[in-house]
This record gives sequence, structure tokens and C-alpha cells, in this order.
Amino acid sequence: MTRFQHADGLLGHIKGLKGAPQPKRTLWVCGGPGCLAAGGAKVHEALLNEAEKAGLLGNPGYRISLTGCLGLCERGPLAEIRPEGHFYQNVGPGDAPGLVGEALLEGRIVEGLIKDPKNPTKDSLAFYKPQERRVMRRLGLIDPESLDDYLLHGGYEALALALGSLGPGETARRVEESGLRGRGGGGFPAGRKWRALRESVGRPRYVLANGDEGDPGAFMNRALMEGDPFSIIEGMTLGAFAMGAEAGFIYVRHEYPLSVMRLSKAIRLAKDRGLLGEGILGSDVGFELGIVEGGGAFVCGESTALMASIEGREGTPRVKYVRSTEAGLWERPTLLQNVESWANVPPIVLNGPEWFRSLGSKDNPGTKVFSLVGQVRDTGLVELPLGSRISDLVELAGGGVAKGRALKAVQTGGPSGGCLPASLMSLPLDFDSLTKAGAMMGSGGLIVMDDLSCVVDVARYFTAFLTEESCGKCVPCRDGLPLLLGVLTGLTKGEGRAGDTGLLVREAERLKATALCGLGQSAANPILSTVRYFQEEYLEHERGFCRSGRCQGLFVPAIDPGACTGCGLCRKACPAAAIEGKAKKAHKVLPGKCVSCGSCLPKCRFLALKPAPRADTVKADA
Amino acid sequence: MPEWVKGSIDGIPAKAPYGTSLLHAARALGIDIPTLCHHEGLPPDGNCRLCLCEVSGKLVASCMFPLRDQGFAALTGSAKVMDARGFVLYLMLNRAPKSPRLIRLAHDYEAYGARVDPRFPLDRDGCVRCGRCARVCSLQASEAIDLAGRGPGRAVLAPFGRPPEDCLGCLACALNCPTGRIAFQDDGATRRVWDRDFALVPCPACGERRFTKEQLGHLGVESALCPECRRRAMAREILAADSVISYKARG
Repeated sequence: MTRFQHADGLLGHIKGLKGAPQPKRTLWVCGGPGCLAAGGAKVHEALLNEAEKAGLLGNPGYRISLTGCLGLCERGPLAEIRPEGHFYQNVGPGDAPGLVGEALLEGRIVEGLIKDPKNPTKDSLAFYKPQERRVMRRLGLIDPESLDDYLLHGGYEALALALGSLGPGETARRVEESGLRGRGGGGFPAGRKWRALRESVGRPRYVLANGDEGDPGAFMNRALMEGDPFSIIEGMTLGAFAMGAEAGFIYVRHEYPLSVMRLSKAIRLAKDRGLLGEGILGSDVGFELGIVEGGGAFVCGESTALMASIEGREGTPRVKYVRSTEAGLWERPTLLQNVESWANVPPIVLNGPEWFRSLGSKDNPGTKVFSLVGQVRDTGLVELPLGSRISDLVELAGGGVAKGRALKAVQTGGPSGGCLPASLMSLPLDFDSLTKAGAMMGSGGLIVMDDLSCVVDVARYFTAFLTEESCGKCVPCRDGLPLLLGVLTGLTKGEGRAGDTGLLVREAERLKATALCGLGQSAANPILSTVRYFQEEYLEHERGFCRSGRCQGLFVPAIDPGACTGCGLCRKACPAAAIEGKAKKAHKVLPGKCVSCGSCLPKCRFLALKPAPRADTVKADA
Repeated sequence: MPEWVKGSIDGIPAKAPYGTSLLHAARALGIDIPTLCHHEGLPPDGNCRLCLCEVSGKLVASCMFPLRDQGFAALTGSAKVMDARGFVLYLMLNRAPKSPRLIRLAHDYEAYGARVDPRFPLDRDGCVRCGRCARVCSLQASEAIDLAGRGPGRAVLAPFGRPPEDCLGCLACALNCPTGRIAFQDDGATRRVWDRDFALVPCPACGERRFTKEQLGHLGVESALCPECRRRAMAREILAADSVISYKARG
């Protein structure tokens, strides 16, 4: 492989790639985290075996390849045939003969494998309709390990433009005027950070990428690192060029071995071709990029803890009165951005700030990738313009609450985010609206909760997570969280006391005010946001009642005889034989026998079972 | 960057070299701010949060907050500050309810909740994890102990929980512990600390046993005068030098 000696050399190579004959048809198999977990690699292997049998391996007219995350994880493993765009869901290794023989070779829809053959493409699905895939635009179109694939789809055109004609000042100006805000949580204006690093004193300067995605249930960074690693590297290279940084690191959690492998390979390929390292594209611009694997501590996603970890020290945050752009990694000027922020940079530089601002709102331009999980019909990765409504995500893309149950709340922003009630579903998904409502954008995780989810239990769960993941450096977070957790646990076990809710709010507010780092300060959010919107349920827990039927022992199921069809599902699910009734006749709960375990509640398809207060707690109330 | 910044602390005009910590600037004005994890001889860490003060409506750890803005206005005893300190003192006092220093400090913040609470869920083991012991040990270049673990399980430990091999028995940790948590025992010829016994070497002048063999080895000497004898020896030297100077001055 030859090194590109000049921007024109690169552009010539891209032109050659575009002019070369393309495969007649490509079968892309989703290699996203969800599909791989569902057996996507086995499907890929079966397809290759089938292709070998058909003598297609090595035939340039047909291609079978893994690609990045296609998004609709709920129905994985997924596969898509191009150029036809036929979209196959829940494929298994057994589907290989049809997919190779009919789909790949002839472009036909394989009978029985697509539910609605009249609408066989991805874009006809409700899940994709509200989406604008910009950050994820190449996922599904390229082999993440192929630099030529990346180049064929617009890759490195921004770098050629920046080095060839824009220069550092104009490159930085484009990012600043785009209004891009940090995609990792805080939503800090990227342009202000870039300016600060450009104006910083001291050498070397570093640019860092945060790929330490630690929120439970979030995998958008992982999908990006594994699906389009070059976009992150090109973004960082542009940043280094614009800000005069000599070196950088991508910090990736150890639990993402595939991300580490793909990024390492991409770095090596880029270096070999003169797109990274010394003398980029024949210029005197140099940028050294390395990968640091984190040990998987949640706190290492915090900027100062991340830098301490890169330095080889214990990953604990430090007091941040002096910005990292002044004294960061090894006390040198440092700029840290989330991997998704970096992936946004190349198209901004290439297409200009106006293009970027064409989606999203004035103060929140562009798109954001959300990981949609929980009690929703279709889980997966969804990229929406910022400022879309929460309902666009949950109802339009996600298809609403699973199993037809009622929506209770959505939890956004990871463990230290907040819970928003069903009444706020028209709230715009942007940094400012979410923060104002007591939640936050975080890295874009969104968990849907139905009426069987208990907000007190949710707060307890997240507080337990944050207690365990607290680094333990500062007093309020380390010793204050267990205090709050103790009270929450008491409430969910029926050991709550009158006044506990007030105590929780008071101490959570004090934790927020006193903790050392951003994680500690936001660790009170699960409590504060749930009390803000669901105070009544907290007070009920003080009295020993859980209306969601989640906290064992704090309710008895009651059957609405008008809604009960006597199907018997609840009776069969009851481990204590506490439900009786004849087939097709309304059933009855025997309170003396019921152990209040809640096993029956999710079984009812007619919403006839509802948790009611236990007789003894009602008496205590009166 | 300006050489000096001017502003006010509790309404009193204050002037300090650029970057001075709020704590130092306040103390220079005679304003007392309580501290615990802070020690003048150690790198600041800001972990105990006791020295929190209010600057532009925000709480900052004064031990680490650098004064850089002209016209800064800091408050060291506002209601917000008192409430914040009450919270951290409540947490620390419940970790170390027998510490005289914490009992004394908590006294001033009782109205803000700084008292012993039977509902406090954690071990009352007397350690507030401020890490002064570990920082001073690291400064001595022995690094025999450190904070380990995370969350509420964080604790000061020797490697693998065994008697620390690199310990010099110098007692810097124990003597700098704000809650008196680190136990040690000197009985004539030996010192016991961190579950290790150290032989004490006598002072060549008076025979008093102050230093451990490991401590002297770390300094690369076989024996050393005890602090009192060293002071005496130093005084003699200075007096001798002084008499020379005065002799010369007299001509």
C-alpha cells in the first residue's frame, strides 16, 4: 500500500474507487452489538459457507460482509441486500441458502423471510421513518475494517479539504459556527473548547476521545467504534490539525474488545496510507494517535478521572477549577470529546456549519443517537434530529410500550439521569429541555418504563449502581449515597417511615451541592427527579403501599371482575395458589394466601389485575 | 495574566497573588475556614469538602480554588456554606464518632445536622478516608500504604492487606491522621505499627530511641541524633559561627 503524498493523490484514489466496477449485489449482515449477541456472526459464517458452495467466493460481482449496527436490535440478527434494500429480520443460519441463492444472486425477496413483501425495505418501517442517520450514515454501507469502503462513502474528503485549502483557522471556524455540542453528556459547546485549546499555552497539546461508555443499556458509542471507526479517527485528525495538537488517545473500555480491535486496525491502516502519524498527506502536519483501554470503572468516563487513568494513575476525578484545555493530561492543554462528537466533525468540515444546522434546533443543532431500551416494542439505536419529541422516539420509532401496557415514565441520560413522567412525552429531546425538566441528555440512553415499574425501586436501583461505582474519593458521594440507598431500600421493603421522602430530598440536594465531580453532583438525580414527578408514590411507600406491584409485600393484586375474562393465566402463574376461579368466569384473589410476589401482574392480557393496598396498611392509615 | 487579583472575602477587601487558594487568602485575613483533609505540607486533594465556601453562588473547595478573577466575592460562612459543611461533617462524624477533632468541629454545625445518627448505614471505623496518611507516605517516597477499593468500600490499606513491606515505621501516617485512627505502640526498643515490628536505634548522644532502622536506612545513614540533640548541636554550631562573625565585625 502506498502512502498518499498529497491531498490530490487521495482524491484521485477516491475517484478511482468510485469509477471502479462495484459488486452487482452485496449482502450486508449486521455486526452491531445486539445482532452479534443474537448470533449474527454465525449467520455470517453460514452465509459464507453457502456462498462457497455456490462458487461465489472470490467472485467480484457478489459480496457478503459484516457491517455496522443497523439499529433495530429488537429484531436481530438483521441483514440487508443492496442495492435492492430488502431488509431481513430475525435471520438464522438456516436462512443462508435462501439469502444466498435468491436474495444475493437474483435480488429476489426470499419468501417467508420478509413479513410484508409489499414493503420490503428498511425505510418503510416505522422504526426508521422519523430517523435521520447522519452519524450512523455508513453503518450498513461499509465493512468497518475496510479503509477503501470508508473512502468510497465520503471518508477523508474532509481531511483532504482541510489540509488542502481550508487551513486550521477555517476548519475550526466551521466547527465553532456549527454549534456542535458535546455528545457525551454535558452538551458543552464544542467550539468554545476548540477555541480554548487553540489559544492555550504549553506543549504538547492533546486531543482525546471518550469511548468509555459506562451507562447500563447504552451502546451507541460501541456501535460507532465498531461500525465506523475511521469517522472517529478522521474527526480527531481534523481536530488535531485545527487546534495544533500533536498527539491523542482514544479511551475505550476494556469490555469492548471488538471496539479496541477495530480502532487499532483502523489506526494502523490510516498510518500505513499516510492519513495519520508523521507527515499527513505529505504535509508537515503530524498527529500520533493511540488507544488506552480502561478497566471498566464507571467513573473513568468523567474527564479528569479518564485523564488520570491514561496517565497510569488511579481513575479518580480531581477538582476542576482549572479547565483541561489549560492543564489536562500530564498537566498539558487537552481537549476531550465523546466519540460521537468526533464523528460529527468530518461532515461539518466538509459540508459546512449551515448543513449541520439544517437539522435540530437553534441551540441544539444536528442529530443525536439514542439507545432505546426497556419496556418498548422495538429496542435499538435511533438517530433523531435534536429537538424531536420524546414521543417521536418512544411512540414513532419504538412502536410504543411493549405488550400494550401503559407508559409510566422514561428514564434518560444514564444512571445519573432522571425519570420523566408520561405527561412530558412532548418535551423536546435536547440538552436544555431535559436538564430543565430534571433529567439530562447524558450520552443518549433512554429507558422506557411501563405501569408495572416502580419509580422508588428505579431510584433504588440507580442509586445502588452509583453507590457501587462511586470512586470513593470525596465524602458526600462515598458516604452520602449509601445513606440515601439505605432509606430507599427501606421504602421498597416496607420498612419506610413517615418523613423519609423529605429526608431523601434534603440529603440528595446536599449531596448535589457538595460532591467533588460531575458524577457525584448528578448522583442525586434519580431521587430528585422521581420525587419531583412521583411524590405521591413515595408517600404511599412510606405507608407500605406500592401501586406498581413491584415491591414485594407492599400490595395485594385485585381483580376487576368486569375486565377479567377468566382466562386463567394469572391462576396458573400464582405460586401460592392464591387465585381461584372457573374458566371463563371472573377470578378472585384470596388475600390470606397471597404472598404479594407480583408474579400474576404481567400475565394479565386484559389489564384486569391491579395492585391494591394491603388490608393492614389501609387500617394503619386510618 | 495579572500579578495580583483584588476582590473580597466576607465583604472584606482582599488582594492576593494570582492563583492563590481561597483558603490561604482567607487565612491571611484572619478568617478561619475549617479543614480536615488539608495539610500545609501535603499536596491538596479537596476530598473532604469541609472547607467549602461560596463564590458567585457556587460552592467551591477553598483549599484548591484558585483566585484568578478580578472582583471575586467569596463567602466563607453563608447559610449555604454552613448547610454544606453540616452535611459533610454529619457524614464524617458518623464514620469517626469518637474523634475529638470531629466532635469539636461538629459542635458548631449541630444545627445543620452534624450529629451522630443511629440510622447511619456504614462502618463507624474511625477513618474518614481523607488520605492524609497515604499522601504523606507517598511524599516520603515509601508508598507503603494507599487508599484502595472504591465507593463505600474504599479504605486505607497496605498491599494485599499484609504488613506493608515498604513501611519505614516512621509514623508520618499516624501523626498526620486527623482522627487518630492509625494505632501504634513504642515500647522501648521496638515500635509496632501496621502489624509490623520495627527495631528502634538509639540516639548516639543521649540514647533515646526515636528512629527505626528502616527509617535510617531510607536516609542512607546508620544512626542519627534525636530531634532534641540535633537542635542542641545545631544551636552550638550557630553560636560558634555567630561568635566568629561578631569577632570579625569588631575588627
